[in-house]
Amino acid sequence: MVCDVHYMTHSDGTMNPFENLRLEMRRGFLVLAVLASLRTEQYGYTLRKTLNDQAMEIDEGTLYPLLRRLESQGLLVSQWREEEKRNKRFYRLSPEGKKVLKQLLTEWDGMSSSLNEILKEQHHGAY
Amino acid sequence: MELIDRYLHAVKFWLPRKQRQDIIAELSEDLRSQIEDKERELGRKLNDSEVAAILKQVGPPVFVANHFLPQQYLIGPVLFPIYRFVLKIAALGYLVPWILVWIGFMIFSQSYRAERYSRGLIPAVGSLWGSLWLNAFITVGVVTIVFAVLERTQALTSALQNWDPQKLPPVRDPNRIPRSSSIIEFIVGVLFLMWWVNTFSSQTIFRFNAIQITLAPVWRYFFWGFLFVSMVNVALAAANLFHPHWTRLRASVRLASDCAGSVLFCWLLKSNFLAGITVPNVAASKALAVTNAINWWDSRMVPAAIVICIVIAASDVYRIVRLKGTPNTLMPHTSASAILG
Repeated sequence: MVCDVHYMTHSDGTMNPFENLRLEMRRGFLVLAVLASLRTEQYGYTLRKTLNDQAMEIDEGTLYPLLRRLESQGLLVSQWREEEKRNKRFYRLSPEGKKVLKQLLTEWDGMSSSLNEILKEQHHGAY
Repeated sequence: MELIDRYLHAVKFWLPRKQRQDIIAELSEDLRSQIEDKERELGRKLNDSEVAAILKQVGPPVFVANHFLPQQYLIGPVLFPIYRFVLKIAALGYLVPWILVWIGFMIFSQSYRAERYSRGLIPAVGSLWGSLWLNAFITVGVVTIVFAVLERTQALTSALQNWDPQKLPPVRDPNRIPRSSSIIEFIVGVLFLMWWVNTFSSQTIFRFNAIQITLAPVWRYFFWGFLFVSMVNVALAAANLFHPHWTRLRASVRLASDCAGSVLFCWLLKSNFLAGITVPNVAASKALAVTNAINWWDSRMVPAAIVICIVIAASDVYRIVRLKGTPNTLMPHTSASAILG
């Protein structure tokens, strides 16, 4: 199957439907990716680099507000510390965050296998 | 690094006071790390345009700051459809009639026209344009303020959440005539006819303690005209009571009777139908002045009356057009699945 995917925006400035849906889908994944990455302590910039290396690109304007939100929800804990002569804020999962991450991963597994089942059924139905 | 400081300063301006230092420190650390990485990669210091390119990629200061702000809106997504609906109602129920009344006055009221046109057409249109915008601004402003208050207090949102599916209005067939309205129309029509015949059959309509109101001879046409229209309306109400769905014939009769009634009413207002008022101990000249004033005010009402009559006739025409478009099926008997397709 060949998928011809266009990332272009329309001439009126609105994004094409695929791009909208992709961003919507990514928004959910990003929270999971950030929580999973913070099982080991990291500061913002290295976290962003880690995610970018895993093809989960995230800009500053999205990551830092997300980290603050997760911290205010008690899922992360942070600490300002000096490293390489500069003050950096290090984040890691809180005990509550670990619990929630586990639940989210279970949910993710369930959703993923359900989706695979649906896709498998449709694949069989198509031929 | 001066460029970064300027950038961070611009971001800081938009941030909430309590979190400013914290956010700026973190953002600053990120930007400096990015620059260091790039410098390490190139093996040299970045120049200003390269730093500017990085900052451009991060985004305009206000956008970046906006990500850290709580989501704010004057009217939220829950209330917005209702807000838009109310604005439409306000436009249809207030601004459109306002324009129609103005047009009515301009066409049919000589004194109004003379007053406005005395300074030329452009000032007249300018004055209309100014008044229209002022009225539109006030209307939209008041509706927006009310909804903003409802949004803040969450009063409407909590009221909407306490809904009961069983209290939803039934599916309404627009061509169905509620029996209650036919009964009311019939009773009111009969009472009106009795009152009309009893009170207005003679030219002197009021006589009490030597006070007397006399109508002009032209009144006789109005008396018979309104009597006929009212009898048609009573007959129509009786027919609607037993056959509670509009048909093209009955809708056309309603249009004809409303048009006849409208023409009579507008003619009545213009006809100086009040012949005289006699009140003991009041000078005849004073009574005549009152009579003339009432007649004058009646004639001033004509433009507004014409607009109202046009609206009534338009709704009657719309009913006929709607009947042409839809077969006479009974909506309540149509299943939901059929409606939803």
